Amino acid sequence: MANLGLSTADTTRRNFLRLVGSSAAGTVMTEYSTDVAAALTKATDGTKDVVWLQGQTCSACTMSTLQGTSPSLEEAISEFKLNVTYHPEIMAETGQDAIDAMSDDPDILMIEGAIPTKIPSAATFGRDEKGRRKPIVDWVKELAPRSEFVMGIGTCACYGGWQSAQNGAPAVTDDTEEGPWLDDNVTGAKGVQFTHQQGDEGVLGPDFRSNAGLPVINVPGCMTHPDYVLLTVATLLNGHTPELDEFNRPEAFYGPLVHDQCSRRGYFDRGEFVDHVGEDSEKCLYTVGCKGPYCHCDDSVRLWNDGTSVCRNVGAPCIGCMEPAFWDNMTPFYQPIEEQGLPLGDIETAGVAAVGATAAGLGAHAGRKAMGYGDGDDADSATEEPPRPDGGCACGSECECASEATSTED
Amino acid sequence: MPEIEIDPTTRIEGHHSTTLNVEGGVVTEAKSHMDMFRGMELVVLNRPPSDAPVFTQRVCGVCFTVHRQTALLAIENAAKNAGVFDGIPDTARKMRNLLERMATLWNHAVHMFALVAPDYSDAVADTGLTRLDPMDGAGYTAALEAQRKLLQGFAEFGGKAPHPLTYAPGGMSANPTIEKLQQISDQVEFVSDWLGPTDAVPEVIENVRNDRFDPTLGEGLHDIVSLLFAAKEAGADDFGVGPGRYYCNGIYPDENGEDQIPSGIYVDGELSHPSDEEIKNAITESTAHSWYTDDSGGSPMEESPPKPAPDKEGAYSWGKAPRYNGMNMETGSLARLIVTDRDPFDLRATLGGDPTKSSTLNRLIARAQEALLLRDQIVELLDDIDPNGTVNTGWSDDFSGEGVGLWEASRGALSHWVKIEDGTITNYQIITPTLWNLGPRDDSGTPSIFETAVEGMTVADVENPLNVMRTVRSFDPCLACSVHVESPEASYTEEITPASPGSALTAACDAPIAGEEADDT
Repeated sequence: MANLGLSTADTTRRNFLRLVGSSAAGTVMTEYSTDVAAALTKATDGTKDVVWLQGQTCSACTMSTLQGTSPSLEEAISEFKLNVTYHPEIMAETGQDAIDAMSDDPDILMIEGAIPTKIPSAATFGRDEKGRRKPIVDWVKELAPRSEFVMGIGTCACYGGWQSAQNGAPAVTDDTEEGPWLDDNVTGAKGVQFTHQQGDEGVLGPDFRSNAGLPVINVPGCMTHPDYVLLTVATLLNGHTPELDEFNRPEAFYGPLVHDQCSRRGYFDRGEFVDHVGEDSEKCLYTVGCKGPYCHCDDSVRLWNDGTSVCRNVGAPCIGCMEPAFWDNMTPFYQPIEEQGLPLGDIETAGVAAVGATAAGLGAHAGRKAMGYGDGDDADSATEEPPRPDGGCACGSECECASEATSTED
Repeated sequence: MPEIEIDPTTRIEGHHSTTLNVEGGVVTEAKSHMDMFRGMELVVLNRPPSDAPVFTQRVCGVCFTVHRQTALLAIENAAKNAGVFDGIPDTARKMRNLLERMATLWNHAVHMFALVAPDYSDAVADTGLTRLDPMDGAGYTAALEAQRKLLQGFAEFGGKAPHPLTYAPGGMSANPTIEKLQQISDQVEFVSDWLGPTDAVPEVIENVRNDRFDPTLGEGLHDIVSLLFAAKEAGADDFGVGPGRYYCNGIYPDENGEDQIPSGIYVDGELSHPSDEEIKNAITESTAHSWYTDDSGGSPMEESPPKPAPDKEGAYSWGKAPRYNGMNMETGSLARLIVTDRDPFDLRATLGGDPTKSSTLNRLIARAQEALLLRDQIVELLDDIDPNGTVNTGWSDDFSGEGVGLWEASRGALSHWVKIEDGTITNYQIITPTLWNLGPRDDSGTPSIFETAVEGMTVADVENPLNVMRTVRSFDPCLACSVHVESPEASYTEEITPASPGSALTAACDAPIAGEEADDT
């Protein structure tokens, strides 16, 4: 690491403090920010072994982690004394050498990609003791109980991702030939501890705890944000337990509502919306399907690619990619949720009569469709579900907090 | 037969493995296994066309723009065929052309340094090239920094990268501004300084030959040339030799719709430029050796959505075998440069021995040459984008029709095929460049390009078939790979099976393990 000398450490510390400082108040990250920052320079007893597995993945979460700048991946590896014993995309070793290099009791097990359980052979690497291709589900079951911490990297690993989204084949074909191709979830893709489908369990089940006594720490996103990965690692290695929400996401990053921090929020409150995608204006994108009111993360402020930009800033409506089942609950992507199989009256409420309406009239049922696992099979029970406490305006007009969300706009 | 396996191949994207039969130190048979199935072509069905680009973008987080772009081309083509769409605004066309070039340049930088270079580094191959050592070589980390800057420039229009959301049906969502163009220009300049001036290539070659290093002529260029020389030294001009048939789709349309890189087919030394219609009619997919039913193959527009058949007899890959008029075709940077008849600085003619030869070295040289060409074009294109231009005039999903998107990923020809009925997708097929290069055999038993390229290769050390690995990666496959070597000389089968208590779960699951019969000894 000759090129990563002391000057880099100083830069890293400064950037790290800036980053944790901009996190939401009252979280572990800020509460202990000095301590967390100390992790960067604290001499630890040896290195921390990391294993990064890939299931059904597109690798964007790895590519995204490579884009980190505060710290960068190479700074994190150097400064947090990480020993990446296995990462299929960046390691030097290959084949059996790669598997031999893998720690079998890692300090941190990171899992990227969904885990197919119905067709386990849909993602494999290496061989099992019988010489058969070894499915990722076996690797996860084997390594997770021996790991100090387990992290789900990206929406696929956290909840199953698009692989587990509704299969459209049965709806569009007359072909009745039986087979997994007509199943809802073709390969049985799951997340590590959660799934796309309400009422189902992830591969490790809800009671799983890693050796540190924690559930799988989820940093979803399609793709995830490099800061979410690397700063969570820093927090864990420094002995702090990040506050987690109902999907075991660190509150520091996933507490805010995209909508509340959006640069276009003022237009939403005034009821000024774009007519079509690509319109040259700063107006609100709600009418072209923005799911910011239903999506939790701080990227409106944190931005991406070293603070360059974020989806809404380039006119692209939020697709809700931090939330479970967003591939079904937030689609069609270019339509407001009110228009998705719901009474026409809601469109009027959302698109036109926004001014003065609490939360601009985002329907309560629209919020339920989008939040968490979406509308359950039982519509009545969905109605009785309390809105998320941190859901801001998405709670809808029945909720007191809606007006607060509007008034706290900066 | 004793089996030695090198699984997984690392440093490529996804899951892939290769089985080699080695007799007398020579590969007698190669089978390329794609070890991952996700079902995109099923999940995207019964959704509106405008959702297809968002979904299919997630096929690959490395080719993160091209699947979105190609899906857009497919649905826009379908809308044009249906008579409800006139094409995207000129500014949007220029922005897509710019961003696609930036994404390809980014890919080439990541590929050359993060995925390929370690094979020629001191850490892996004792070459003395410590700058290329993974994660801590100075050349490697400089490239990491450069790729970050390039994506930061990209994100000015993209919003984020990977997986930018800014290409939209009907054009773009992002409006260019003078400030954004300037920011991109600044980041490109940083990358350009790292890479070095194109016309410095001859001087840098002299530097590398004489063990000199002049950062003012580009750190990146010195490292890339070092890498190419190391590959030449390893004999890469003579291994990984494919049939020398190339295919590329036309890309980067100008204001008249003429592609700046034309489509091309290069067979038996003859170059032709087929129309989109001719390309569409020439492509078929075979599932004879794929874990899909037979009716999942055929003409992409007519074949069934993929029906997984994980215990199919004789199958060994989740990939299908695409063919062009029945032929296997190589695709990628080398194909694009051959089709445009370019060999900057005669590098493939001199270093590679023949500019059209399909070899491991020529694939690496072509990627380096293309990186320089792209950088030069990006600088020009930035000046050509109107900061006040219209980028989108709207889009409607409400139509019926068929469309094909023909485009080039950095790693080669990509096509998306879509059928739309009353605003709903009823069929969708994706043919990736990695299928062309690393798919399985077809129904006539003809191997894919990679399988062909590896058969006959000498494997000096069956426990470490480095040159086979170098050949896999020279295709820049979009799948993490592994290699299994089966050889009568090998005798350490047992050593390669790590204990896996977790496999009890698999036994409990009722599903068969695909590929079992193909690889069990």
